[in-house]
Formats: sequence, structure tokens, C-alpha cells
Amino acid sequence: MRVRMRGATAIAVALLLAAAGCGGGGSDNGSTSSSSSGGGQEGGSISVLMGTAPDYLDPQLGYTTQSAEPDWITYTPLVTYRHAGGTAGGELIPGLAEALPEVSRDGLTYRLRLRRGLTFSDGRPVKASDFAYTIMRAIRVNWGGKSFFTSYIDGAAAYDSGRADSISGIQTDDATGDITIRLTQPYGAFPNVIAFPSAGLVPRGTAMRNLSNDPPPGVGPYMYTQASANRGFTLQRNPRFARFGIPDIPTGHLDTIRVTIVSNTQSEAQRVLNNEADVFDAGDTLPPSLLPQIESQARDRFSREPIPSTYYFFLNVTKPPFNNAKARQAVNMAIDREAMVRLASGFLEPTCWFLPEGIVGHPGNDATCPYGLDRPDLAGAKRLVQESGTAGAAITVWGEERSPRREYVDYYTDLLNKLGYKAQERIIADEVYFPTIGNAKTDPQTGFADWIQDFPNPSDFYLLMDARAIQPTNNQNFSKVNDPHIQAELKRLNPVPATKLDSVGDQWSALDQYTARRAYVAVYGTETMPKFFSDRLDFDAAVFHPTYLNDWTSLQLK
Amino acid sequence: MATVDSTVRAEAPVRGRGADTSAGLGPYRLGLRRLRRNKAALAFGALFLLIVVLCLCAPLYAEHVAHTSPNANHVTETVVVGGVRKDVVSPTGQPIGPTWQGRFLLGADQNGRDIAVRLLYGGRNSLEVGFLATLLTMVLATIVGIVAGYTRGFVDGVLARVLDLIWAFPVVLLGIALGTALALGGISIGPLHLEGNSLLVPAFIIGIVYIPYVAKPIRGQVLGLREQEFVDAARVGGAGPLRIMLSEILPNVASTIIVFVPLMIANAILLEAALSYLGAGVQPPNPSWGTMISDGIRLIPSAMHLTFVPGLMLVLAVLGINVFGDGVRDALDPRAKVRLEEHAEEASR
Repeated sequence: MRVRMRGATAIAVALLLAAAGCGGGGSDNGSTSSSSSGGGQEGGSISVLMGTAPDYLDPQLGYTTQSAEPDWITYTPLVTYRHAGGTAGGELIPGLAEALPEVSRDGLTYRLRLRRGLTFSDGRPVKASDFAYTIMRAIRVNWGGKSFFTSYIDGAAAYDSGRADSISGIQTDDATGDITIRLTQPYGAFPNVIAFPSAGLVPRGTAMRNLSNDPPPGVGPYMYTQASANRGFTLQRNPRFARFGIPDIPTGHLDTIRVTIVSNTQSEAQRVLNNEADVFDAGDTLPPSLLPQIESQARDRFSREPIPSTYYFFLNVTKPPFNNAKARQAVNMAIDREAMVRLASGFLEPTCWFLPEGIVGHPGNDATCPYGLDRPDLAGAKRLVQESGTAGAAITVWGEERSPRREYVDYYTDLLNKLGYKAQERIIADEVYFPTIGNAKTDPQTGFADWIQDFPNPSDFYLLMDARAIQPTNNQNFSKVNDPHIQAELKRLNPVPATKLDSVGDQWSALDQYTARRAYVAVYGTETMPKFFSDRLDFDAAVFHPTYLNDWTSLQLK
Repeated sequence: MATVDSTVRAEAPVRGRGADTSAGLGPYRLGLRRLRRNKAALAFGALFLLIVVLCLCAPLYAEHVAHTSPNANHVTETVVVGGVRKDVVSPTGQPIGPTWQGRFLLGADQNGRDIAVRLLYGGRNSLEVGFLATLLTMVLATIVGIVAGYTRGFVDGVLARVLDLIWAFPVVLLGIALGTALALGGISIGPLHLEGNSLLVPAFIIGIVYIPYVAKPIRGQVLGLREQEFVDAARVGGAGPLRIMLSEILPNVASTIIVFVPLMIANAILLEAALSYLGAGVQPPNPSWGTMISDGIRLIPSAMHLTFVPGLMLVLAVLGINVFGDGVRDALDPRAKVRLEEHAEEASR
């Protein structure tokens, strides 16, 4: 799930695997021990502040982290993620299904079985057919990521276009709880797709319209008891959930979580600092002006938590000067990643790899960045530019208005000028930035880009390097990379099921090191987010999940 | 946003054959004498002039004192202040404050750029936009005002409606709309093309949106002037419309135009700052006082100098030119002040 949505994602993902090969099958039971409760209180109430309102409070519409945080613990999908921080949080575990999906040998059929005895928060029994209805609802209400379903589930596109009344590729049996999903093509990350909170089950018959002001019942540790779009909402512990005894999904410690949408992050941070509220939402940017105060007064309740994300400058390989490999190498060599960290007020960790830490295939500490990491080599970069014969070329650097992205571009433009180019900036509004640079008519030379995982899978990142993702509109492969080696590797690695990703980790890592050597992009960091609580909460016991940020089921009063 | 005082429009001294030249002095010489007696106006005029001169000296300061350029980043560099080596930008992104020495005299911004250097270059850009916009406004508004007022009829009707159309939009909103649209693709007028990041783009926008504020008073004045006897005499003498407008009408609205110039400069500088603050004026990384204030907003509690310094310069420059402009108005049209006081008294009753 992205922190900031981009509507083009699903379309591009659909194109990504248009010619993907076959994947293996097999099942895997990932159940392990439950999270511990720590030494704090059970029960109680806390207040969470959000500077950015959730896009929707309807599970089949929400597509930002602000909506995913509550939806993850109120609408459990058939498959979900372990409630743990770091790499462990990327592990798929059974949710409402008894086990992880059983995948056919050709990678086209997924079989799951619903746990027995489940009920929604309003007491209605959960049936296998509710899953089919949930997916249909997500498509019908036009969820931002619906093409993850329509592109891969057989019959989903026909349902979306109105040519069918149901999705033929989803077969369910309410008596046995069996669910069979047939795909149109193998897609290794499909288990991640059905782990989206948007695939969290709602009762059959739930209205096919936006229910943000009256969210439907779900199955999860918490349930919505009050919701008012753009003002706030309340979650209360679901008294039925504990009885289900689902392994690895905690039942939560708090009785009530009150979420208030506030007008600005300055007051949001100030109130948490003053212990007038309990949680600063991790999806918000901590005001740099308050950082010194927070770091001195709240050192024991503030930390920077990395999330799998990649921040980079794209280098269009089809246009001068970056159609010259030496020019691209020079940029990678000259970037001062420590400067980028400072521009991000410390909310960035320097890296040169496209696959971030926490994603299978990240080259890790043993691999060496081909053009350096810690110390920029400006003199060497200038020499490379001279050798490339591209010195003096005019470059337009594209960027977004909001901070610190504009500061990144200011720095980068100055760097290109120091390297001997004639660089100038073009800063445009955040809302239109990615559609503009993804339009073939714009065909930008270079500029800011980022990617925050939809789900913890390397194929989600390598979409941006896939030649098939180059499109006339909503292009995501901004560097326009069309490398035969990358294409061959993606064809081989993309169909590997998410449950077997570790078996191809080395191959993803080799691919990522190849990409870094070719300098198709200039990666400079991975984002970190603020974990910032009041004194009332047990800071150490709280889990910071790599996909859903603060895990509210782990929050506990001291 | 300051508004233009339209009370100056109809009371300027009439020159030509019907001109009033009391005490044997021409109206401009008389006005100059009055202006010399207005010490406050002269002092603020000198303040504005000082700011202009300082801004013109920006390249000298940058090269010989600060040893940097306005857009040069120094994020990971250090500077020695009072014998202590300090980060220009701290690891958590806090920029250094004023050092009161050559390098980073007034501190640095988030990108480690020298505030003093950017302040002077930003002033150049703000003033350049202000002057160019005022020039554009005055030239076009004078042409439109005189033509509309003198010709009346159909031409006046069309021009007046166009002015009404522009006037109907709030200045800032119109500026933002134009600025946002033009920042991406620039402007193409015939063979002339302006890139989106050119300073001429905000100058063009501001110049256009203020035309009605000057053209309408001029038109009103011309409507009265065209009925004067000296215009009839010129017409009887065989002069054509163009000659009458240039040699009879224009000199008689010149004092109005002169009074408007400083006021328009002040308004243009303020609007430029507002547009740049909102991202629709001077384009980054080029500095202007508006963009500098905008850049510093998010660090106000911990680095107030980022907004305070350009804000102060903006206030001083606008105050200087506004008070000087008031002095010019009083000098050329002392009755305007009396009228304003009468209006104020009536309003207070």
C-alpha cells in the first residue's frame, strides 16, 4: 500500500506480467507463536491524531496508509501479514483462511478454505461466498487498485465491464468453506493481492456504494463504532474475535481507539509531545521545526522506522545526455547521499540499491555500491562527464512542490550544474506530477521519483524497470529502461509465488546489482517514518509494521 | 494586498492651452518643490533606492564576500563561527542561523544556500518583476484608457467590457490561475516564446491583471478632457485623432500616470511575492522574497530567520515605495489628500 496513491499502479502492474511464465505450486503453513502482551495494562482508551484523513473508511475503497491502518485490524482478509516489525512483517500468514493458498502447478489456480465458526462483528456468520461478494464489491465501487483483481482473476474483467453478473473465476462452497480462484495468467504476487485490506471480507449484501460514514461489519480484532469522513472515527475491540483463536493475529490490548483528523501536523506533533494525544500518525510528516525539541524531550518515545521504499532520480536512457552510460554513472558517483538525508531531516536512509531493505533480493551489506555510497566523488564524476562528451547539455529536472521533494530537486539541479550541465528545474503541483512525467508527450529527461511498496514483493518494485510498463500515458518506467537481461530475469522471477520468494532471493539480488551497475536510475535513499507516542503508551512493545505502519493491536497503556 | 487609490485620477493639473500654471511655475516643477518639502516621502524614497542599489550589488557581494552563488547548495559543508566549526545544515535538517560574518551572514536555508546572497538576488528578481510588470501595465493601460476614453462608442464598449472582465476576477486568484498554467508551458506570442521559468512570465501576468486598475481612471479622465476647449481647438486646427491623443490628451494624463507608477510598483512587488509564495510566480530554484518566505515556513519555530529576513525586506521595500508614492501624489495633486481627509471625516460621522 502506498502512502500516496497513484492511480496508474494497477494498470502498469497488469501490463507488467502480460507475458509472465509459469510458477510453482504448493502450500505453506506460516503459523508461529502469538505476539506477547508485554507488561502493560489491558484495556483503556487512547487518542490517535492524523494530519491526513483516510481517503475512505470503507474497506473496499480505502487505498492509502491512513485507511489501511484501521482497515487492517477491522477487515481481515483470507491471507494477511504477520504482526511484526522489519522483514518478519512482510511474511504472509493465513488470515480468515485455514492455511496459505494451495497453488496449482501451472500457477493458475489458488485453493483456500475458510476457517469454521467465524462471524462478522454484528454476529452474522461468515461464508465462503462472502469472499466472492467482497471482490465484486471492490470492483463495483471502483477501488483504486481494482485492476489487481480485474487483470488476473478470470472473469473479473467481464464483471467490471458489466458483461457478467458475477466473477466466473471465483468458485465458493459455503458448506465446506472452499474457495477456488482461477487466474488468467500466473502471477507470483497474487497471494499479496488477496492480502490487501480491500479483500477483507464484508457480508454478502453490503451496499455497493461508499459506506465511509457507516462502515460495514468485518472480522477483526477491532470494529468501527463511529465514523465521520474527514473528522475522525472510533474503533472498539471486537468482543467476538478473541473466540476464533486465529493464530498470529493478536486480539489487541486497548478497548477503544479514538482517531481525530487534525488540521495541521505542527499541532498534531505538539499535542503528542505535550501528552495531550497518544499517537502521531506515522503517515504524516513530522515538522522539522519540532524535531530538535522532540529529540531532546521525547527521546524515549520517538524513533525513525524504515519502510520498504525507494527514492531515486530517474535518468531517461532514450534522451541525451542520459542515453550515455558515463553520464548516468557520473550522477550516481556525484550524489551526496548524506546531503539527501539532511534534506529529509533525517527521515531517509542512504542506499544505492533499487530494492530496499526488507524486500527479498535487497543486496544487503555484503554487496558494494558500484559508484560509492558514503563519499561522493565529484571530481571523478566531472571527469566522466567530460569523457562522455555530454558536458554543456541542457537538462530539465522535474520535481514536485512539496517538501522535502522540492529540496531534493534543488540539490540535484545544483549538482548537475556543478557537473558541467546546464540544468534548470520544472516544479509542478503534487497532484499532477506523476501523470505529467508519465506522459509520453512530456518525455522528461530526469527528475524525482519514488516507490513505496504496494506489498512486500520485489516484482512490485521491478515494475518500474520493466520495458512492458513503458506506456504513452501513466508510464511508470520513467527511465524508459528496456534491457534484455532485465526482461529475461523478470520473465523468470515474476511468476515465483510469494510464498516461495526466499528461494530466489539471490537471483533478485544479482538482478538488483546488475541494475545498479548499469546506473539506470540514481537511487539515494529509503524512507523512514516517525514512530512517535505519548508517555502513556508502552513504546517498546508497539510494533511498527513495514506495510501498515503503527500496528494498533500492539498498542498498550503502561 | 494593497489597492490602488483611484481618487488621484481626475484632479491632475490640466496642461496645454487650458493649463493652470500658478505662481509662474509649471505643474511638475511645482510638484517637485512640494515633494522636496515632504521629508518623510524623501526618506522612504531613499530607503527604497538603497534597497534597489543593494540588490543591484548582489553579484559583487556573492563573489567577493560570501564566495558562493544564490543557488549553490552547501548541505554537508561546515563553517567556522567564533572559532567553532558548525554544520551549515545539521544531520536533522536544521540550517545554521546568522553568523554575522562574510559566509552565511544571515544564515543558511534548508539546502545550505546563503540567505544573504539569496536575499539580494531575490530582491533583484522581485524588483525586476515589479518594474517590468509596472512598465507593461502603464504602457498598455495608458493606450487602452486613452483610446477607449477618446473614441467612445463601439471601441470604448469593447475595451471597457474587457477591462470589466479582468477586473471581475480577484487579482490573486487570476494571478495564480495564469501563473500555474503558464509555469509549465511558458507563453508564446507570435515569434516570442517565454519559458515557464522565465522572470518575464510573472511580470507578464502581473502586468496584465493590473491593467484595469490604471486604465479605468485614465479613461475616466480622458472622457472629461476630450470635451475641453483646447481639444476642440486642435480638432478645428486639422489635427487627427492620433495626433490629438498624443499631443493633447497624453500630456494631460501624464501626472496621473506618474502618480500611479510607484503605487503600481508596490502592488506588483506584493503580488509577485504572493504568487511566488504560492508557487505561481518566480520559479525555483531562483530566489524571490516570496519564494524565500514560502521555503522557510515549515521551519518557523526553529529557524525564524528564513522567513523573517525576506519578510522584512519585502515590508521595507513596499513601505518605502508606497510612502514615496503618496508623497508624489500629494505633490502633484494636493487636493487628493484633502479629499481623502474629507472622506475619512464623513465616514467617522
